[in-house]
Amino acid sequence: MRNIKYYFQLTLIFTFALFSIAALIFLIFFIVKESLPAIIHLKIKPFISLYWYPTYDPPEFGMLALIVDTLLVTVLSSVITIPLGYFISFYLHTYASDREKHIIKYIISVLSGVPSVIIGAAILIFVSPILLNFDIWSTENLFLAVLGLSFLSLPYSVSLMTDSLEDVPRELEESSLALGASKFITTLKITTKASINGILNAAVLTINRVIGETMVVLLVGGGAAIIPTSIFDPIKPLTAAIASEIGEAGVNSMHYHALFLAGLILLCISLILTYYAKKRGRIDG
Amino acid sequence: MRKFLVLILFVFTVFLFSETLVIKGSNTIFPIAQLWIEKLKTIYPDLEITLEGAGSSTGIAALFNKTADIANASRWLKESEIAKMHKEGRYFIPIVIGYDGIAIIVNKNLNLEKISLNTLKKIYTGKIRYWNQVDPNLPKKQIQIYSRNTASGTFETFEKIVLNKEKMAPWVRMVESTRFELETVEKNPYAIAYVGIGYVTDDVRVLKVEGILPTKENILNGVYPISRALYMFLDATNGYPDSGAIKKYITFGLSKEGQELVEKAGYVAAYGF
Repeated sequence: MRNIKYYFQLTLIFTFALFSIAALIFLIFFIVKESLPAIIHLKIKPFISLYWYPTYDPPEFGMLALIVDTLLVTVLSSVITIPLGYFISFYLHTYASDREKHIIKYIISVLSGVPSVIIGAAILIFVSPILLNFDIWSTENLFLAVLGLSFLSLPYSVSLMTDSLEDVPRELEESSLALGASKFITTLKITTKASINGILNAAVLTINRVIGETMVVLLVGGGAAIIPTSIFDPIKPLTAAIASEIGEAGVNSMHYHALFLAGLILLCISLILTYYAKKRGRIDG
Repeated sequence: MRKFLVLILFVFTVFLFSETLVIKGSNTIFPIAQLWIEKLKTIYPDLEITLEGAGSSTGIAALFNKTADIANASRWLKESEIAKMHKEGRYFIPIVIGYDGIAIIVNKNLNLEKISLNTLKKIYTGKIRYWNQVDPNLPKKQIQIYSRNTASGTFETFEKIVLNKEKMAPWVRMVESTRFELETVEKNPYAIAYVGIGYVTDDVRVLKVEGILPTKENILNGVYPISRALYMFLDATNGYPDSGAIKKYITFGLSKEGQELVEKAGYVAAYGF
């Protein structure tokens, strides 16, 4: 009887695990399958050409500008969000009283529930007009997109990092404090080192989230496929291109396949990042 | 077995008493179709109509795979679509329901009244970048160019009539909705955009194109250069529908009342004036 029960549970867990893995594999397979014609037909062209004119005759599928825009917006947002997130969680972990912690955590959980559409719209309505007073030529631009993405991913990174800092055994910190290290040094050198895996993981998840964010960049990015020369130039990341055009690209047209290729590129960036973070984490941890 | 029969009967009666009409297509025609449907609902309460606006091409594609009964389109069929129609042995018929003009809008504070098609083309293709190149009296400010995204019928028409096979400059900002264009132009003193005349509000200035304002007469007479007919395409492979929901919808749309609603939506009626 016990055996049957055991095997039943095992089968159940196994089935669910298999299901989720199968779904993931199917997803990747689907994206690759749909982008294959574009890879075969366009070869290297998407990566070297700047001209994204998918609906013209003859069409051009240069994605370089889109890729650069994606990377730019991701790097800038990450550079803002991850350190900021780390400092906030540093404060929460080290200095905040229980009441403070409670209030801040509550605010963060509320923030993380704000839909990206709302953030995008709010930026358009309240922040965008301010730029006009500064004689900035584009009222939707890289700067606003970075602002929106940082705002969106900050709660996410704070909560993940706080959790990983809190997970460090109390004894470690107490030993450090007993040896005469200040609170600041303890958190900076001991706790952070001990939880480096968690923090890196949080950073990677945050970056992945920023890469995949669509609505904000669609609303406030400006939708112009150029490589920006200043922070106030309009941009069009891969996600915005997909969201804006997939509805109109005829199924199985080259445009449609090219958009799937854009999705594949996003997936690759994401996978490479995750892989490196995992590798690094293993060396350190 | 009896249960099965009852079920069949049930399904059948549902079919008899509710005809669902599916209309998809151009966002430009969306407000017209919405008004028509509202009115039709009061006349035939048991008529079920679903309306989706997603762009002309989407509507026609839906007509091909039979997920829509009527496709609203703000453009004529593309060559590829006509070829596909022949290949599948289908026959779609167009019905003109009204006319739409594309208005070129700028901010109220910009001291500009008219623009030529050629200048407009130069602006959108990026050959002209500053307002003082359009008119020496204007300030030397960069022109902020807005366009609808490639999924919109308005974009297709604009591209065909104004750009004429030339490419838009890459820094033209493609936005997702006409509403957005209007709000931006209202706020931004150096912006230019194009919208269907049905959407024009009093908060923006409409430019004369080639000296002609997009008025009703000018569009009906075909004088205003950036205008187009609006169509309903329907699948007439098995003949023109002589009864049922589709017929009711079309007949109403072309009636005096239906055409008045076209005007109400901000377009130009094609019949009955």
